[in-house]
Amino acid sequence: MTLDAKIPAGDLAGKWDRYRFDCKLVNPANKKKFTIIVVGTGLAGASAAASLGELGYNVKSFCIQDSPRRAHSIAAQGGINAAKNYANDGDSIFRLFYDTIKGGDFRSREANVYRLAQISNNIIDHCVAQGIPFARDYGGGLAYRSFGGAQVSRTFYAKGQTGQQLLLGAYGALMRQVAKGSVTLYPRREMLDLVLVDGKARGIVVRNLVTGELESHAGHAVILATGGYGNTYFLSTNAMGSNVTATWRAYKKGAFFANPCFTQIHPTCIPVHGEHQSKLTLMSESLRNDGRVWVPKQPGDKRNPADIPESERDYYLERKYPSFGNLVPRDVASRNAKEECDRGKGVGQTGLAVYLDLADAIKSRGKAEIESKYGNLFEMYEKITGENPYEAPMKIYPAVHYTMGGLWVDYNLMTTIPGLFAAGEANFSDHGANRLGASALMQGLCDGYFVIPYTIGGYLASSSLGEASANGPEFSDAMAAISDNIKHLLAINGKQSAISFHRRLGKILWDHCGIARRDDDMKKGLCLIQNLRAEFGNDVRVPGDEADFNQALENAGRVADFLEFAELLVTDALSRRESCGCHLNVDFQTPEHEALRDDENFSHVAAWEYSGRDKEPVLHKEPLVFENVALTRRSYK
Amino acid sequence: MNWFIETISSSIGKKLLMAITGASFILFLMIHLIGNLTLYFGKAVFLSYVAHLHALGPLIVAVEIMLLILACIHVTTGTFLFFQNLYARPRRYAVKRWAGGRTIGSATMPYSGFIILAFIVLHLSNFHFVDLSERTIFDVISTHFSSMLYVFIYTCAVVVVAFHVSHGFWSLFQSLGANNNKYMPLLRVLGLIFAVSVAIGFGFIPSYVRFMI
Amino acid sequence: MSRTINLTLKVWRQNKANPGGFETYEARSISKDMSFLEMLDVVNEELIVAGKEPIAFDHDCREGICGMCGSVVNGRAHGHMEKTTLCQLHMRHFSDGDTVSIEPWRARAFPVIKDLVVDRSTLDEIIRAGGYVSVNTGGAPDANAMPIPTEMAEKAFNAAACIGCGACVAACPNASAMLFVGAKISHLSILPQGRPEAAKRAWAMVTKMDKLGFGNCSNETECEAECPKGISILEIARMNREFFKAAFF
Ligand SMILES: Cc1cc2nc3c(=O)[nH]c(=O)nc-3n(C[C@H](O)[C@H](O)[C@H](O)COP(=O)(O)OP(=O)(O)OC[C@H]3O[C@@H](n4cnc5c(N)ncnc54)[C@H](O)[C@@H]3O)c2cc1C
Ligand code: FES
Repeated sequence: MTLDAKIPAGDLAGKWDRYRFDCKLVNPANKKKFTIIVVGTGLAGASAAASLGELGYNVKSFCIQDSPRRAHSIAAQGGINAAKNYANDGDSIFRLFYDTIKGGDFRSREANVYRLAQISNNIIDHCVAQGIPFARDYGGGLAYRSFGGAQVSRTFYAKGQTGQQLLLGAYGALMRQVAKGSVTLYPRREMLDLVLVDGKARGIVVRNLVTGELESHAGHAVILATGGYGNTYFLSTNAMGSNVTATWRAYKKGAFFANPCFTQIHPTCIPVHGEHQSKLTLMSESLRNDGRVWVPKQPGDKRNPADIPESERDYYLERKYPSFGNLVPRDVASRNAKEECDRGKGVGQTGLAVYLDLADAIKSRGKAEIESKYGNLFEMYEKITGENPYEAPMKIYPAVHYTMGGLWVDYNLMTTIPGLFAAGEANFSDHGANRLGASALMQGLCDGYFVIPYTIGGYLASSSLGEASANGPEFSDAMAAISDNIKHLLAINGKQSAISFHRRLGKILWDHCGIARRDDDMKKGLCLIQNLRAEFGNDVRVPGDEADFNQALENAGRVADFLEFAELLVTDALSRRESCGCHLNVDFQTPEHEALRDDENFSHVAAWEYSGRDKEPVLHKEPLVFENVALTRRSYK
Repeated sequence: MNWFIETISSSIGKKLLMAITGASFILFLMIHLIGNLTLYFGKAVFLSYVAHLHALGPLIVAVEIMLLILACIHVTTGTFLFFQNLYARPRRYAVKRWAGGRTIGSATMPYSGFIILAFIVLHLSNFHFVDLSERTIFDVISTHFSSMLYVFIYTCAVVVVAFHVSHGFWSLFQSLGANNNKYMPLLRVLGLIFAVSVAIGFGFIPSYVRFMI
Repeated sequence: MSRTINLTLKVWRQNKANPGGFETYEARSISKDMSFLEMLDVVNEELIVAGKEPIAFDHDCREGICGMCGSVVNGRAHGHMEKTTLCQLHMRHFSDGDTVSIEPWRARAFPVIKDLVVDRSTLDEIIRAGGYVSVNTGGAPDANAMPIPTEMAEKAFNAAACIGCGACVAACPNASAMLFVGAKISHLSILPQGRPEAAKRAWAMVTKMDKLGFGNCSNETECEAECPKGISILEIARMNREFFKAAFF
């Protein structure tokens, strides 16, 4: 099968306009006859469901949590990008486009990214109109800041709770449609399968998490906006419920999975405290603007940081990257922290942490100024660690944060299954091998508010789809298969909890396919994952009932999928014989330990096709063509 | 439903009723207190105040009827609220600690309310619905307060009233929405001052009459 | 100083078959760096391995922002620390040998689903009645077309910071939802974008809240004291004003 990204012809800037003009429209009177299933109520899902409802479609919206407002997007802190150029500092749509492509290490599609940059401005306008309380400057205009090392100030924010405010805006829009009757909510439902009829996505099977009942829902198209798979690594900054189940089961039904090895590891998280750590907390990247990262020069130096004299400290980022210093990109900062800890220079009880020290900034600019800038972050740090960052340097360590990979989609955001769309972090589309700060919120809302409402219309108008009905054999077969699956999990009756397997899986992945990857390690990791999966199949214990609220069962199902998916992740990492963005294979690096791309052979999207249980997945390549940017190598020296 | 009925039967409408009627009682309480303070100056001063008051004639009757109506509203709404609030939490917590928002005054509002209601009935039968053809109201007062039991009941009742208004005072401003972070501290303090004034002003009358006059 | 503690938990267990009651569990060797929910994870893992049903509790972000977690711990909503959700409450605030009682939010409007999990969909219903600005996607004016003073934006933000956890209802002696509703009505009525619908919204949301079985507010201010985001009861005063404007003008 050849992958056709369906990119409209013509010049880059005019593509989206032309697309919209060429796109077939659905007669307004017919819209309510179409049922669209939207799985996920994060920024992407809630905004898509709301906009489709506004257009008059009949929308069914699903989420795992008890309310759409609780989707993982709520946790985003830093901000959202837009090419407004309010700062008059040289920003433009083209610059945002270029930064995103370059930041992604030239592994994303020009046309999609350009559209994202174009739409970024509409997003901010719309969100302001919704009453989102963005930070303002004294003149009453929107405040903006530079974020994640960007050279222009294009990030808009609402304190440290931008994701929350944006999501509440989308949730409000969604609830407005619920009140109007165009959207029906199905909270506390977990999608467990995708149903195809005549090769097209026509519905889903979900488990009602309160009663345990399986339900079939039929529609004319299905949108997956189910977020990223960072939790495959067990410990990540993602919410506990974030999972790969929905996308993984769609993959098994024929949707290709693109670039699963592209996982972003964020350098500034609060380190692991012990065996029973359940998740990791992000400390905003902005701290690196004023903080200095260091470790003791002497490996194994366990003295108090205050007792280590200046001359015995190694400010390794400043030493290695004199021009960017502490502000090197996320992947570079993460990799270096790990290297230092591997050399035995890590600090704290576990030795898996480095210092992020704001003492100099406090000294030179006063506690008051630092407090006004970072007060809430310091408070959060103290709450979690019990240590006062005004007195001792913070300890930080990298953690899995975001996944650039996801279901392969074309320009329409449609997967390889007709009628199945993917939006937000669940698709692979815009961030290439590395995502820039404050661009995930932008992409989620772009997909949901502004792209899918058009492209889905084009699909519906140009396909002949019968009535949506969940009575066919396809639905009953899917229900039966899931039911068997659940019964099987409950019947294993082993000795270990699902979470303990998840923890072990996370450790395997982190050690064998984490920040810096080695072929041998990855191959070994692959075996370990396979063994772990076999052990899970024999020894997991899932107490409780099928027909009940059963969190142990929910979790076991997700862990089973993570165990399967992890193999694909490592397989993809092994097959990409280059380093790019967040994917660093140590065999492919410059003498300065920078990622060494192979544009000749690997300037493509790796899209994996499921070929059956215990069979090797099939790799398809979508070549990436760059007509508007010149491929360059990053350097932060 | 009529918009007005709909408004006052809503949760905020009920707050409004409690606040407006409560405010009237606070006003009444202030006037009553100022009047009663004359007792501390002896019989003659007090009786002359009473005479002045009665000279107002029909106005007094009108105010009395008003107060009666307000009391009915305050009590009925309060009773409604009490039972609705009980109904809103069918199962109580086995362990409950307060976080520091509640005060004795706020926590006891319905109970102090019912005690005050009982007290008002007693108070009116003691001093209002009495035959004054052969004695002055002052005589009635001093006869009653010659009994330690009455002194005790009245003193306690006044303390209860003080607690009730300690919450009621600032609370009525909050309910009316006449509150913001500039005035909030002031309202809290004024409420406290008022409650203490009520407690002291009214509270010592029985003992004063019993022991000093 | 030992880094671990042992606790006795008295946990409310309830399911379809069991109308509810307390069960006692031992939480052993709990690291002081754990969060309260991680402590429950440890207890649950032991239960699972023993083939018993783990304690059901809601949670997701574990960073104090999604509003999914929450139980009454030793009589306090989200436990005894100020401005802290249960997921952000750390075990260093407990002492070795403590007995800890854990109950679900209790309110008629929040029926218990299982153990510590309650159904808070009534909060969604209130938002559905009008907790939004009625603007369709597309066609919004430029974001800077309408200047908004910093103070106004901040005031709106402070109200908008609500995470919808329901602690205000749980903590309120009357099980009232006024702080939750007040926060949303305030957030939108402060901003010019929300003004056109302010009256309609206040009326619709308040009357909806009344129908859902929440109690009445008697200004006990327990909600403010327990709110993990420190939302002020002045938002309730503002809601009252908006409601009166809607009713009388
Ligand atoms: C701590 C943190 C901070 C961040 N900060 C920023 C930032 O400052 N700027 C930025 O741009 N990005 C940031 N990000 C990234 C960004 O938040 C996410 O990428 C983005 O919110 C993802 O949105 P989404 O809509 O795709 O999915 P999500 O918000 O993850 O939503 C997923 C939805 O799918 C539902 N779901 C999942 N699986 C199923 C299933 N099987 N069945 C039914 N429903 C299901 C869930 O219930 C949920 O509603 C941050 C991420 C983290 C973790
Ligand atoms: S789990 Fe999200 S607020 Fe506690």
